[in-house]
Amino acid sequence: MKSFTNVNPENRQEVVSLLKKVIEEGKTASLAGGGSDLLGMIKDDLVAPDVVVNLKDLEGLQKIEPHSQGVRIGGLVTLQELSQHPLILSQYTVLAEAAGTVATPQIRNVGTVAGNICQRPWCWYFRQGFPCFKHGGDRCYSVVGQNQLHAIFGGGPSFIVHPSDTAPALMALEARFRIAGPDGERVVPASEFFVLPREEVSRENILGPDEVLVEIELPPARQNVKSTYVKIMDREAWTHAVLSVAAVLEIDQGVCRKARIVLGAVAPIPWHLPHVERMLVGQRITADLAGDAGRAAVSRAQPLAKNGYKIPLTEALVRRTLISLAG
Amino acid sequence: MKPISRRSFLERSGTGMAAAAAIPALEVPTFQSQPQPAEERGREVHLKVNGKDHRVKVEDHWTLVEVLRDHLGLTGTRVGCDRGECGACTVLLDGKSLYACSYLAVWADGKEISTVEGLAEGDQLDPLQEAFIEHDGPQCGFCTSGQLMSAKALLNQNPNPTEEEARQALAGNICRCSNFNRYLEAVLATSGKGSSRG
Amino acid sequence: MVEELKTVGHSTPRIDGLQRVTGRATYSADVQLPDMLYARVLRSPHPHARILGIDVARALAAPGVKAILTHENCRLVWSSGDRVNKRYLFNNPVRFVGDAVAAVAATNRHLAEEALKLIQVEYQPLDFVLDAEEALQPGAVEIHPGGNLSPIISFRTTGPGERAPSTYVRGDLEKGFAASDFVFEDRYVSKHVNNAQMEPRVALAHWEGDKLTVWTPTQGISNCHRDIARDMNLALEKVRVVCQYMGGGFGNKNQCQDSDLMAAQLAKETGRPVKLELSRKEDFVCVHGRWATSQNYKVGVLKDGTLQAIQMRGYSAMGPYRKGSGGISGVEYFRCPNVKTEVYAAYTNTAVSANFRGPPYPQGVFGIASILDDISHELKIDPVDFYLKNVTRKYRDSIPYTSSGLLECIRQGAEWFEWKKRRHPAGSQQGPIKTGIGLAAGGFGASVGRSSAVLRLDSDGRLWLHVGVTDIGTGAKTTMALIAAEAMGIDLDKVQVISGDTDRTPYSVGESGSRTTSHTGYAIVEAAKDLKQQLAASGPPQGDEVLIAEATPSPSLEGMVRYSFAVHFVEVEVDTELGGVRVLKYVAVHDSGRIINPLTAASQVQGGVIQGLGMALHEELLYDENTGIPLNPGYYGARVMTHVDVPNVEVHFVETEDAYGPFGAKAVGEPPIVPVVGALSNAVFNAIGIRIKELPITRDKIIGALS
Repeated sequence: MKSFTNVNPENRQEVVSLLKKVIEEGKTASLAGGGSDLLGMIKDDLVAPDVVVNLKDLEGLQKIEPHSQGVRIGGLVTLQELSQHPLILSQYTVLAEAAGTVATPQIRNVGTVAGNICQRPWCWYFRQGFPCFKHGGDRCYSVVGQNQLHAIFGGGPSFIVHPSDTAPALMALEARFRIAGPDGERVVPASEFFVLPREEVSRENILGPDEVLVEIELPPARQNVKSTYVKIMDREAWTHAVLSVAAVLEIDQGVCRKARIVLGAVAPIPWHLPHVERMLVGQRITADLAGDAGRAAVSRAQPLAKNGYKIPLTEALVRRTLISLAG
Repeated sequence: MKPISRRSFLERSGTGMAAAAAIPALEVPTFQSQPQPAEERGREVHLKVNGKDHRVKVEDHWTLVEVLRDHLGLTGTRVGCDRGECGACTVLLDGKSLYACSYLAVWADGKEISTVEGLAEGDQLDPLQEAFIEHDGPQCGFCTSGQLMSAKALLNQNPNPTEEEARQALAGNICRCSNFNRYLEAVLATSGKGSSRG
Repeated sequence: MVEELKTVGHSTPRIDGLQRVTGRATYSADVQLPDMLYARVLRSPHPHARILGIDVARALAAPGVKAILTHENCRLVWSSGDRVNKRYLFNNPVRFVGDAVAAVAATNRHLAEEALKLIQVEYQPLDFVLDAEEALQPGAVEIHPGGNLSPIISFRTTGPGERAPSTYVRGDLEKGFAASDFVFEDRYVSKHVNNAQMEPRVALAHWEGDKLTVWTPTQGISNCHRDIARDMNLALEKVRVVCQYMGGGFGNKNQCQDSDLMAAQLAKETGRPVKLELSRKEDFVCVHGRWATSQNYKVGVLKDGTLQAIQMRGYSAMGPYRKGSGGISGVEYFRCPNVKTEVYAAYTNTAVSANFRGPPYPQGVFGIASILDDISHELKIDPVDFYLKNVTRKYRDSIPYTSSGLLECIRQGAEWFEWKKRRHPAGSQQGPIKTGIGLAAGGFGASVGRSSAVLRLDSDGRLWLHVGVTDIGTGAKTTMALIAAEAMGIDLDKVQVISGDTDRTPYSVGESGSRTTSHTGYAIVEAAKDLKQQLAASGPPQGDEVLIAEATPSPSLEGMVRYSFAVHFVEVEVDTELGGVRVLKYVAVHDSGRIINPLTAASQVQGGVIQGLGMALHEELLYDENTGIPLNPGYYGARVMTHVDVPNVEVHFVETEDAYGPFGAKAVGEPPIVPVVGALSNAVFNAIGIRIKELPITRDKIIGALS
């Protein structure tokens, strides 16, 4: 592995000023939450930071704190803690389930929620170091290549799929992300955090090089809400989703009052399905309606040569998820 | 059958071996493996490994597993992929399992680390180790240290796991000899439960 | 049933279990020597290119760098890296992504890695071909002069041979088809999969004067020793190979590796010990895996299911160097008067292909078991009855087996599996989630042959057993000790096994071809006979005396063929909407003769089955066809099975009596993977009523086939 300098800032302001300084010196820095993926990328020469900013000892970002406006989740909360926290498990089930499907216990023990949200793509072209858009190149190799795991929605010019499990869950929960930067902090809805390649091809979210995702804010838990995260993998553990569905339904006396459905691993960002949600609100979720919702979910899909199977797969998984959640 | 080539000898003290190409030497030098001396440069970190304090100079980009293996001589922790894809390097850091190949030594400064070498107390094996032998967990044995540490982390937290909980807890440890069911049997036997699979 | 013995045949924990569970087992990478250097290898990024120039000046000047090898300053030939062509350690042109271009030794591994980036190589990219059948088309780029059809090779082949498909014929195919009531044709495709043993390749080389010691994970210290001596032009006594513990190989650690030679040469040039460590990615891309195949079958049968004619034309992608046979086998398990098989082994610009557990079988059984299953379905014959009617009675219908439990494995297995109860017509279930069952049969040669053992009995009653095995995970050390204890009539704890060091052990055949028990184990039995005679003649050794016996038997089979057999039964559940396959029940029934250690033998069977399921359902080294670059090397990319993927595997041994081998023991290690893919293919077909003809049987193919 190439050499670099590790620094251990103590608080978020220090992180931001450190990033600013490194950039001003014409060097590069990488943030390490859990650091597992970062070290793999450095070893594979996919990134070459001069400075690794170790966030593990940062003050105050390791807690899950309920308060009157909802729940504040520090960006450094580990995926393991998130998956087992009683409040998250009971009130924000989709998030606990999503965190619990990430990789393995060893990775969940160190991997952080902010790191999972900001994870770089797992497209095999990107990971093998092809000079693609994501590496500053001029093409997406999947278009005429092995694209069985690639995007069926929102693709172009890059067809990566967003690899995060927690991101679709957080979008379904209408979470907000607190970002620290040189000009202070800002809060954005999860749905505005991720960017499509047609807007910005080299990165997956709005974070600038001198910004850090520090906190996640969940809205207050509501009555009669059921939620779940269903992940399809090509082995039973330790891999990214081929497809996932994050669904949050508010059902009162058998009628759906509110619905949020977000797909993972089908688009370069977590893929929100508002038109499907509108079909559900005010209705009883029957098998027929769920079937219609499944079909609607994929009505705008645009498959590449080898990922067409994701369309019937998505249709079936949306249908099944709705039936099991409503039933 | 073809005739068998056979030779027999009576060896006496001091006479050495009779000359026969197929007969091996008895006394050949063995090499003592030794940890590398600490480097002059780098920064000092304090690692408490299996209860013992170590102060060792490391470079920032050294992983925890290479410091354990190369500089502290604790080679029981294996490197199978160096990418967090196999689990052979699993150790416990402050009681939690992680991949020592994907964690920098400087990040472990001041932390308590447990490795396979610390499982037994003197000659007294951990019950998991005994069960691993009895149930034939290790085939080639290269993944065994990691399997043990994941199992230890599980039982520390949950002394009576279900079969499904045990499988999930071990999901981050590949065994390419594919003796998964044997490992599971051993873990469940240690926790006082039998396995229905395998 | 075989007669019960005192020590052999009883489940016994491994004698080196303690070392394996305490971390004390010393694998090759664990050895560190004073002043040791670390080495890394620069690899070709091109599937086929001529190297126009290499500039190592900047790398040589980099901190800590002590030596660099390239094709310009190192002309060593790696003789076991290619049995037909001259394969240098560093080749020009380079012929696959991952072909070695240079090796660097430096004072630590990071400096060695950084130095690789400073080597400047000018490549002239050449046309490349990834697929075996395309490689044989007119106009395909020639990877070696003379074209891409690789010669026929046998175990003994070195040097150029006849360029032709490997062909087997009996009877008259045309007559057979003419006499058939029905003729079926189909095509199956299997992919390159990796051995993926947990221990990456490593080599530590150390010279003391003119004697070279190499610590390396090898499946055969004797053949590795011979190869290193030959390739380094050293006398045998000037080379010592040590492998005390070995982290698996499944066929890809036979003989010596290029990394052994690179480490030895770097150590020679620098005068310091050199440890060369290959990465996991290099293990997937630059070592070798199972060859990809395409297989075309034409099978003629009578109405009652009796086979009349089988024709198979297959293609195997060998990569650009010829290490393996490229065979596609499985037809041999069936009796049939008219047979012709032809296999074209082709050079391709892909990762090298060679031995992986049961080398020619799992992919071949996938093909033949699939088409025969389709036939029994079309003829409405229960597959169990079809197998009972058609499986081999004599090897190639002419040579008797020394023993065969094949029919009993089928009959008993069908009972244990509750075949009749679980059976339903293919694709007949309603609903999106369907179950299905399948079986397949296979076998593996249980050869006998030359190997050596030395026994030394001291006056304390300890039996020192010197055998040249390296226990690669099969439990060979324990098996050898059990055989010695049984043969001498002593307790197991009196046996001390000395192994894995060519200076301390005699020749052994090596842990490949499932031969160690039959070959080396038999040598122990023969040496023990001698030792017992000495004991009877002169009494037990006294004081410093040690009784020694050595045997090197070379038994032969006197016109017979010796085989282990395996019949596997599997039930799966297929979710037709989500495309997932889950194994519900797996019964593996094996005739491996007498089982020396039921505990470790059953572990071997479980392991082989689960590896086979990985091949059937998950694994494939996938290439970008436009660049020739592999996209998913590694455990993550290969989706290697994990704890939560594996089913229960029920293991049964049908112990036949066999007059050969130690106490009648036959082969155990390789048979378990042989029938797996075929059985699974048949179960998926039974569930969904559609045959998936290309491996692995993944979600995209299942959904694609059904929609």
